[in-house]
Amino acid sequence: MKVKPHILVIDDEPQILRALRTILEAKRFQVSIAATGEQGLAFAASEQPDVIILDLGLPDIDGVEVCARLREWSQVPVIVLSVRDEEKDKVLALDEGADDYLVKPFGIGELLARIRVALRHSAQLHGSPEPVVRGGDLEIDLARRVVRKKGKEVKLTATEFNLLAYLASNAGRVLTHRNLLEKVWGPEYTDNVEYLRVFMSQLRRKLEQDPRHPRFLLSDPGVGYRFSSDD
Amino acid sequence: MAEPPESRLRTPALFPILIRHFLALGLVLLSTGVLFLLRSSLNTSTIALLYLLPVLLCTMLWGLGAGLSAGSLAFLTFNYFFIQPYYTFKVIHTQDITALVIFFLVALLISQLVGRAKQNLIAAEAREQELASLYEISSSLAGVNRREEIVQILARQVQDIFLAARVEIEVLPVSDEAGFRLSLPDEKAYRQDPPAWVVPLETARGVGGEIRLWRKMPFAPESENSMLAAIAAQGALALERAALTRAENKARVLEESDRMKSALLSSVSHELRTPLSTIKASATSLLSGEVEWETEARLDLLNVVDEEADHLNQLVGNLLDMSRIEAGALEPNRQWNLISEIVSVALERMKRDLEDYRVEVDICEDLPFIPVDFMQIERVFINLLSNSAKYAPKGTVIRITARTENDHTMLVQLTNQGPHVSEEHLGSIFEKFHRVTNAERVTGSGLGLSICKGIIEAHGGRIWAENLAEGFAFNLVIPLTWNGRPATLVETEN
Repeated sequence: MKVKPHILVIDDEPQILRALRTILEAKRFQVSIAATGEQGLAFAASEQPDVIILDLGLPDIDGVEVCARLREWSQVPVIVLSVRDEEKDKVLALDEGADDYLVKPFGIGELLARIRVALRHSAQLHGSPEPVVRGGDLEIDLARRVVRKKGKEVKLTATEFNLLAYLASNAGRVLTHRNLLEKVWGPEYTDNVEYLRVFMSQLRRKLEQDPRHPRFLLSDPGVGYRFSSDD
Repeated sequence: MAEPPESRLRTPALFPILIRHFLALGLVLLSTGVLFLLRSSLNTSTIALLYLLPVLLCTMLWGLGAGLSAGSLAFLTFNYFFIQPYYTFKVIHTQDITALVIFFLVALLISQLVGRAKQNLIAAEAREQELASLYEISSSLAGVNRREEIVQILARQVQDIFLAARVEIEVLPVSDEAGFRLSLPDEKAYRQDPPAWVVPLETARGVGGEIRLWRKMPFAPESENSMLAAIAAQGALALERAALTRAENKARVLEESDRMKSALLSSVSHELRTPLSTIKASATSLLSGEVEWETEARLDLLNVVDEEADHLNQLVGNLLDMSRIEAGALEPNRQWNLISEIVSVALERMKRDLEDYRVEVDICEDLPFIPVDFMQIERVFINLLSNSAKYAPKGTVIRITARTENDHTMLVQLTNQGPHVSEEHLGSIFEKFHRVTNAERVTGSGLGLSICKGIIEAHGGRIWAENLAEGFAFNLVIPLTWNGRPATLVETEN
């Protein structure tokens, strides 16, 4: 890994670009900028940035398509920026391989957290995955299929564990309903969101201090779920 | 002489022409028989006078033609049976010739006179009938503004009046309205034959369509033609009037929506400026190098900027939702969702606005799924919570409860300890820009509750407000079925 992580921002709004460049450079990132999808793709191919921040509403090609084309040859983490109007596009971009998304307007703290997760995840892609995921008083041993809360083992059903394990091994990233259903239940279940609702609610009851105000197992309305390991 | 025109419009020709003539001849023969029996006791001139009776009767009953036939036959039989020598058409005495000639002339004259009177009577009756029919049509068309309905009425009346086997009315397309065609009794009748009659639906502004008529009976050109033309004119006028009324309504709706838009714009620009001025003031204070801000004050100003940016964002979100609802483009992306999850996401998002309130949630985890759009229903709760936070006094309780009403609906209630709303305003708080209190004290676009209503109704549910003994309640009824089916149970493995 380079000393200064390299971030490519693909967006056509000059003011957003100006703000992002100032803020990210202050946070010791190397920042490059592309104003169109084509430019962004060309730059990504030649410079190989560590993270790409991608706006969905681009002047030339759709952000979703940029994402799909990028995924044909690169695993670089992509964080999608969208306004609420692009709800469906957002899910589509995630299903097309984007790693995460942020809704405009967003707080910079959120963006930095997403960038950290993305960098960590891309480092994991190259190394071996962590066998144990920790978050607060939770400890998820992926290899031994054991979950402990405050050191005490919690009994989970097979599906509950599979769901938790998949979320935890992607800690910090949002996983779409479709993605979760396909990975945990199988491709023929991709529309049965009710399965997710029930199993997430069970997991929360077993693992969260206050299931009504979850700390680890977060809903991303209209998109999916996210395991948050941040304290 | 031409046949009298087809008489009454409403009654069919009961006796076709030939039968009438036969009846006339029959009556004359009958009279001849009776007179023949009385021949010995009557003289020739009396018989001639009596012979005039059936001729008169025939003319009155069956018209001029029948009267003339009767007169001619009476002339012959009078000559044959009653003028010597009997049983020949020969006439010997001069006075008999005179009697015969006079008889013939009188019969002819009477037939003419009576026939004309009768014809006039018939024509008058027909006109009256015609006027009555036209009046009936125009009064049944009055106040009808749907083209389909007008055409339906028109077709039925034409079919009734003209005893048509089939009536077809075609309306041509005008500007933004498609043309259409209506057929009585149905399309199949007389499909191959060309229509017996075609009349345009025409007004000063042009031809708007056509009436086509099929029937077996022959048409009487004069009276029926003018009648049909009059009906067509009525129909065309009704169609035109309906078009004008619709155009006027449309204009009124546009005007109304224009009015709403300017109300929205003025409300929105006010609401946009409020957070913007706060942001501007804070940012410029921080930028100006004149004052050394203490850390705490700096933080305060920055927090204000952050909060006001959130308010602006929420306002924009509401505007977008409202425009979608207005455009009828708010299509819920339904999925099976848990009400408890939606409520807790909404509460999480509203954390900052609700920190001065005690929020109590009483929702059983085992409630069935609801087929709703997660984000939209979340927005409903956000708006209801935001409304509660605006009106209910700080430090009070906001409570959310949910329970199933029956197999088909769930009742969700959000109560706060806010002030009562007078009964007559309870319904109108869900209208756009409606505010119970004066606008200065409470901020917001005045759109929140109308968005809630739009969303809940798009889901096939219901929302209403209610004053409680202690506080205020919003009630939501949300359907539990999707395309008529409830959610399937999910096997939980526990």
